[in-house]
Amino acid sequence: MKTIVLGVGNPILQDDGVGIHVIEALHQQLNTQKVTLETASTGGLNLLDLIRGYEKVILVDAIKQDNGEPGEVKRFSLSDFQSVHSCNPHDVSLLEALHLAEQLGEKHLPSKIILIGITVNTSYEFGEGLSRKVASAIPAAVAMVLEELKNT
Amino acid sequence: MKTITIDPITRLEGHGKISIFLNEHGDVENAYLQIPELRGFEKFSEGRRAEDMPQITSRICGVCPVAHHFAATKALDAAFHVDPPVAAKKLRELLYCGYIIYDHILHFYFLGGPDFVVGPEAPPAKRNILGVIEKAGIDVAKEVIKHRAYGQKITAILGGKATHPVCGLPGGVSKGLSKDEIKEIKDMVVSCNKFAKFTLNLFDDIVLKNKSYVDLIRSDPYTLKVYNMGLVDKHNKVNFYEGMIRVTDQKANELEKFDAKNYTKHIAERVEEWSYMKYPYLKTIGWQGLTDGKDSGMYRVGPLGRLNASEGMTTPQAEKEYTRMFDTLGGKPVNSTLAFHWARLIELLYVTERAKELIEDADITSAHIRNPVGTPGEGIGVVEAARGTLIHHYHVDKNGLIEKANMIVATTNNAGAITMSVRDAAKGVIKKGHVTDGLLNKVEMAFRAYDPCFGCATHTLPGGLPITVNIYDHQKKLWRTFSQP
Repeated sequence: MKTIVLGVGNPILQDDGVGIHVIEALHQQLNTQKVTLETASTGGLNLLDLIRGYEKVILVDAIKQDNGEPGEVKRFSLSDFQSVHSCNPHDVSLLEALHLAEQLGEKHLPSKIILIGITVNTSYEFGEGLSRKVASAIPAAVAMVLEELKNT
Repeated sequence: MKTITIDPITRLEGHGKISIFLNEHGDVENAYLQIPELRGFEKFSEGRRAEDMPQITSRICGVCPVAHHFAATKALDAAFHVDPPVAAKKLRELLYCGYIIYDHILHFYFLGGPDFVVGPEAPPAKRNILGVIEKAGIDVAKEVIKHRAYGQKITAILGGKATHPVCGLPGGVSKGLSKDEIKEIKDMVVSCNKFAKFTLNLFDDIVLKNKSYVDLIRSDPYTLKVYNMGLVDKHNKVNFYEGMIRVTDQKANELEKFDAKNYTKHIAERVEEWSYMKYPYLKTIGWQGLTDGKDSGMYRVGPLGRLNASEGMTTPQAEKEYTRMFDTLGGKPVNSTLAFHWARLIELLYVTERAKELIEDADITSAHIRNPVGTPGEGIGVVEAARGTLIHHYHVDKNGLIEKANMIVATTNNAGAITMSVRDAAKGVIKKGHVTDGLLNKVEMAFRAYDPCFGCATHTLPGGLPITVNIYDHQKKLWRTFSQP
């Protein structure tokens, strides 16, 4: 199954960028011949452009949950969300983008999209580092991605 | 006092919050927009290599990376005392046209347009691109997607990377164009021009031929008589990439025209205690609070601000549309906030024509695309982001490291105007404590016209939340709560 692991986040907005850190860690642990590792600081339609042509997509992203503890790592399927990545006010959500692509008769859409979410507190302050709790969640997120890749 | 809170805003899920305050009669007294601003950019920049700024700043906003990239690059040109070669300037401007193409298409069809194409009274679930498809047909949607992608492709070819370009260097650009690339870009630009014309026709058919929409556009709640600001060339025509900042008054006369490097002499910022936002105003006129008219230093930027602040477009098709807009809406300046949408489409047409001029320009094939830099110092760069005037200001030390950085982003320039437009729209639809159906969207329409970007650099999931409205009584106690399904 043609697979992409896509880390999403902003590398200069502290914990928001954890998805990108996870991809960096994966680079050291994975034979990347069979799987594409990619990062993106964007949403909606641009994400759609990146995942088009793959059968399976594993998104790795920071996530904000009402009852979540920072550093918690969880696996989600896309249907767990009503909207994915429309934080950007000038774009549609990934879900909307996918619906749109389906309606337009797009043929190369992924059949499986999984999300590995790392709970963070949203930061509004610039910085490259991660908080301690979120940084220590990286091994768990990497393990979860590797586990997910076994099933492909 | 009752308070209605709209939180967050549909399709503007960058954590914006609108609070509407009612007086004891149940009429709108004031409405405020509150947004958490991203903090610490100045500190983050200190000590970094100056030439990294175009890459760093393109990540501070998820919406306008290209605008930040070039505001930064131009600030570096100035800081390193270097004038880029002609070819480099034209390559930058061409890339910039690609950015405006995809940005303006996206706004019209996905964000602002649905209010008109599907209708302001339609349920929120329909007021999106999927609703537009239902109304305008699947073939139109395919064209939308295709031409938005063309804009992206043009920026990727010239910028070296989609979304976040990496080509801007002090003194020029890092990459020229091959013959094949020129051909590819030209074909895309020609197609985008046709699509821009098609879109203006669609706007005519759906909006301008519908009397109720035209009445809505021209109605008082969506009218704001502030100053207008935008970059112009030496003939006072709209220019996105370079020129002087021109400000015109309520009669479309020039108030002032200045070089961006003198911006601190012309623009001051006011902080109000109830908001995180800074409100810029014109120093020449002064601060009179959030009020319009010639005695108040409030101004607006963005598509309508640019068209109002200029004396036309340099390209023939866009010039014709420019004249038609002002003739149709009662002359210059147009103060109707919803006319931003029309102005945006005229600009879309302009950038497709301008891109064609640039790609056919022999200069653009030159291999001389960079000049050597001089000694570093202070530099200020300005561009017109899709949503308005954007200024970057750096102090660079003798080792080429950033000592100090400041920015005024487009949405900050519009902060006062947006706040007033939201308030006035609310006044139009909330009367004597009665909240009309479609109220929330009508307030949001005032907001969306500006195409603002708030807190948009975050990519944390899940992003969107259903809309929630809190109404407080005159003692500021929660009275009722509404949520959209």
